[in-house]
Amino acid sequence: MKDHSDEGFDSLFEKKKSSGAKLFAILFFGIIIVSTSVYTYLSVGVVRDRMLVAKSQVEGAAPVDPSLIDLMKEKAWVESRLKMAAGDSVGLSIDLEQHTIQLELKGVVVMNSKIRDFSTSGFFKRMDGNVYFAIFGSPLTIQKFESSIEKNPFKVVIAPKNEAEAEAAVTKKDSIPDENVFWTVKLDRDFELNIQGIDSVAESQSKYKLGKGFEFKRNLKNIVNSFEHIVKFKKPTYTPEILISIPENEAKAILRALPRNASVTIRI
Amino acid sequence: MRTFFIYLAILVVGILFFTSMVLFAIPALQESTLVLPGIAQGESGSGDGTVNQASLEKDISKLQAKLDKLTPADAYIIINTSENHFYLYKGKQLIRKGLCSTGKNERLVSEERNKEYVFYTPQGVKTVKGKQKNPVWAKPNWAFIEEGLPIPPPGDPSRFESGTLGAYKLTLGDGYMIHGTIYKRFIGQSVTHGCVRLLDEDLEAVYNALQVGSKVYIY
Repeated sequence: MKDHSDEGFDSLFEKKKSSGAKLFAILFFGIIIVSTSVYTYLSVGVVRDRMLVAKSQVEGAAPVDPSLIDLMKEKAWVESRLKMAAGDSVGLSIDLEQHTIQLELKGVVVMNSKIRDFSTSGFFKRMDGNVYFAIFGSPLTIQKFESSIEKNPFKVVIAPKNEAEAEAAVTKKDSIPDENVFWTVKLDRDFELNIQGIDSVAESQSKYKLGKGFEFKRNLKNIVNSFEHIVKFKKPTYTPEILISIPENEAKAILRALPRNASVTIRI
Repeated sequence: MRTFFIYLAILVVGILFFTSMVLFAIPALQESTLVLPGIAQGESGSGDGTVNQASLEKDISKLQAKLDKLTPADAYIIINTSENHFYLYKGKQLIRKGLCSTGKNERLVSEERNKEYVFYTPQGVKTVKGKQKNPVWAKPNWAFIEEGLPIPPPGDPSRFESGTLGAYKLTLGDGYMIHGTIYKRFIGQSVTHGCVRLLDEDLEAVYNALQVGSKVYIY
């Protein structure tokens, strides 16, 4: 019995010419499926590698008593904030347990915001006590900023030639643009912190609504990188992430206040 | 033509498949609980015996006390330059809050392009260096350049203005101040040359609460 679906597919192509297209389709999909499958397999393996590397870095450390882990986390948190207070610039402290994000300056909390929603990569959910303290036991340092809005906007104005020109240039208030605040920082110890400004909890569920063009660019970069990895037979990378949703004005204030290589203290 | 569209369709479907794998399937698989079985076992044993609950609790309260000490017991002010808000505290207690105006983040370049003035409110911790009632504003050069006026010599009477800074000023060093304003409609906006402007009543409260040496936290 002849397969009708095959017949339908074949009928798309004219006899001789079509066999080329058919072959192309089979080859193209074959390559895509095989390479994507291999890439997926490696991508999954890389998470395991990442965890193993993290564990090997704390090898030999005495096991952490599970009944004391919360107290030890508390101690690490306060200790870390004290270390951050020794610096002269603004630092960020994030307490996912208490759902708070704070800006601190010399140990003084200058801004406190309630976290509306957050999610963390599986890596953080599965790390043991020693890996936790190796990562969060002391302040982290921001290595790279990317944001959907300008971090420190600065305007350049040429001085007016005379009084008349100065009057003509009377402060023209810029209209407040409809900004979607989304920013991401790469921290040392190789993970990412993503902050998104939201006006409601429901909004935090639709990540792609936020950051609009910025999110699109990030995704595009991700796709291009993955493609490059496949073409060059490079191993995929894995960067654990923490995504935090806070009110938009506060997300903006924190972005503007943090120095380029600010310290960050986190408690999970 | 038809063949071209077929090739195009094949390409598009392939790209869509790859994109959905990279953006959704792979991250989901990476995060899946099935990916990491046996990698991260919970801790076993009771630790190395050197830490116990009592000593940990003692350490934490010591550290916490050290951290708490960093917050001034006297009055201090926090300025949020992004939202143009101020918060006046005494210890951990908020005494007053309100709107202010801070630096406009602007670079003024003189017409001849040989001089540059940067208008922003510097972030960090400052201290009140001095307090003064009924201050007179000694207009710096940029005030004339900005208005398209010729720069008068130092000490020229046209450089001094009364009332512009309001009833009080608190100096923070490097020419920065907390003072009042005659441009009340701009309060809450980033319009100043770096100083912090407050409304009259807020300024009076801040002036009375802060002493020379009080901390000013700007972020």
